[in-house]
Amino acid sequence: MPKNEEVLQQIVDILKPKVSKDGLEVTAELDLVNDLGLDSLKVMEILEDLEDTFDISIPINILPGIRTVGDLVAEIQKLSDDK
Amino acid sequence: MQATPTSHNLPLQFENFTTLAQALDYAAQGETGYNFYSGRGKLYATLPYAELRHEARILARKLISLGVSRGSRVALVADTHPDFVRFFFACQYAGFTPVPLPAKIQLSGRHEYVNQLERLLSICQAKLAMATDDFMPFLIEAATRLDIHFVGNPQTYDKFSESRVELKPLGASELAYLQYTSGSTRFPRGVMITQAAVLNNLSSIIKHGVKIRPGDRAVSWLPYYHDMGLVGLLLAPLACQISVDYISTRDFAMRPRLWLKVMSENRATISFSPPFGYDLAACRLRDDEIGNYDLSSWRVAGVGAEMIRTEMLENFSNMLAPSGFNPQAFLPCYGMAECSLAVCFGPLGKGMLTDQVDADQLAEHQKAQPVKSAPASNNHRSNTFVICGGPLPGYEMEIRDSEGRELPERQCGTLYLRGPSVMSGYFGDLKATREVLSPDGWLNTGDIAYRIGSGLVITGRSKDIIIIKGRNIWPQDIEYLAEIQPEIRTGDATAFSILNSQSDELAVVMVECRETDNEKRLDLIRRLNRLIRQELGIDCIIELVPRNTLTRTTSGKPSRHATRNDYLKQFAAGNLENRPEINA
Repeated sequence: MPKNEEVLQQIVDILKPKVSKDGLEVTAELDLVNDLGLDSLKVMEILEDLEDTFDISIPINILPGIRTVGDLVAEIQKLSDDK
Repeated sequence: MQATPTSHNLPLQFENFTTLAQALDYAAQGETGYNFYSGRGKLYATLPYAELRHEARILARKLISLGVSRGSRVALVADTHPDFVRFFFACQYAGFTPVPLPAKIQLSGRHEYVNQLERLLSICQAKLAMATDDFMPFLIEAATRLDIHFVGNPQTYDKFSESRVELKPLGASELAYLQYTSGSTRFPRGVMITQAAVLNNLSSIIKHGVKIRPGDRAVSWLPYYHDMGLVGLLLAPLACQISVDYISTRDFAMRPRLWLKVMSENRATISFSPPFGYDLAACRLRDDEIGNYDLSSWRVAGVGAEMIRTEMLENFSNMLAPSGFNPQAFLPCYGMAECSLAVCFGPLGKGMLTDQVDADQLAEHQKAQPVKSAPASNNHRSNTFVICGGPLPGYEMEIRDSEGRELPERQCGTLYLRGPSVMSGYFGDLKATREVLSPDGWLNTGDIAYRIGSGLVITGRSKDIIIIKGRNIWPQDIEYLAEIQPEIRTGDATAFSILNSQSDELAVVMVECRETDNEKRLDLIRRLNRLIRQELGIDCIIELVPRNTLTRTTSGKPSRHATRNDYLKQFAAGNLENRPEINA
């Protein structure tokens, strides 16, 4: 079972190439839309990567509650624990 | 589990139905039906028309037992799922009007989605409401302040006992459904479509648009809450008894290649998408997969729902040529929810036919003067438009100037339509209905177009609409978000779109603001940026201008068109604070 920090690192690795803002360090507190500037299509690409990387299925109803990188990490952690 | 078959023995019939219930009664005599695929491309449910009819009739009796009156609106969160389809047809047999609601939620968008659902439930005065478990929490929250007789998931509805009354399906003059336009989320309008109207459109689509033949099979990822997904890919296949394979819209957005995989595996012949969908599929194609698909059976690749840009389609067909995709399969079409769905189809099997016109003549005189693509005319700027074909039988079209006079061929004006599948009006909104629908049946589409013979060319959709990465954004929604800020007064914001150097649309909002403190101005811009992203999911260029500098119409409202021209002039002169590259 991956630990929170490992999950965070893996997610940061997935997010990094999708973020258009150069030199921005991706940390847990950052807002995915407002700080990282992710649009809805980028979000979809990221979800695909996450599903494939963690071999999980991300239910659509968790999206509205996810605002920050930290929120995303917590949900992914939960989904891969429940597997 | 096995998908419903493509070939079957039930003779093709589509012209004698006057209601959707009749169409299903007939289709239920065959073996075809609907199939549902998961995000991993696995078939997870089948719903043959025979089973759909059986289950819809049982559910109809359960709905009737709830005691709401005939014609009551039943709001259905339109997730791509067999339960939505079952409820939609249960309404047909029970005598209720189904109202598909959007099943579309974004990151941190809970609040906006709940508000949107509440508005939609309230406008149609829904008596019953249903969502699958994924969407149930949002529906319940949206319904708390409303007087709705019953709100539940499919399982709770299924527990009710069946009424013993004889089923009286919706008749030809009753509404078939209420369809919210894909327009403004803040000011939504519910299009009323009668059974007679939609059945007329379905038979025209089947006979003249797509020319259904034995061996046809459709694939769709289009949402059931849009006209193209609901009428074109749910109702039309049933009305001509062919099988359909569905992928949910969200799964398509996440894994666009699924579309091609299912098309290929099932040797499907028909699919429709906005240009944006073809673009997305092409962008996310992986090199090692290109030759793996077999798209040689794909004979109708319908393109509609937004302005058609040929480059996107060319890119798609070039990339998928090794998979046997035939560019002649592209079928341009034009339509809108207010006409049930379709108004024009291009000629089948001819691909994209285009018209190249002089850009200066078009901009200055609204005249579509053809240019030769020969090298000699290289010094002329030109625009290329797709010819959407002629109107379906029974439809009349006129291009009119701002005074209402009919314009000759190749002159741009507003497109008016009259025909057998036009809506009865917007539900509960006589004012909005009168604005677009005249007593003698002419519909003002708001779209800008010209005519070549009987062929229609659209040059601008709904003059103000902003389309960004396939999403329709209505300027009044952006303006509203600006105007609810304490620093900004109502009527002091105007939104429009411009094109960047790659011809992509960018949204701009110009706001009159008396605040001079730089820090406070920046704060306003940041706040507004965040709000627009949250509510509408797009980036927007925000330009603060001094008071009384926006160009206004005689009624005092800012003119979007004139402001846009001012903006482009100032931009060219380098007078603006924001460069599109900065925010975009």
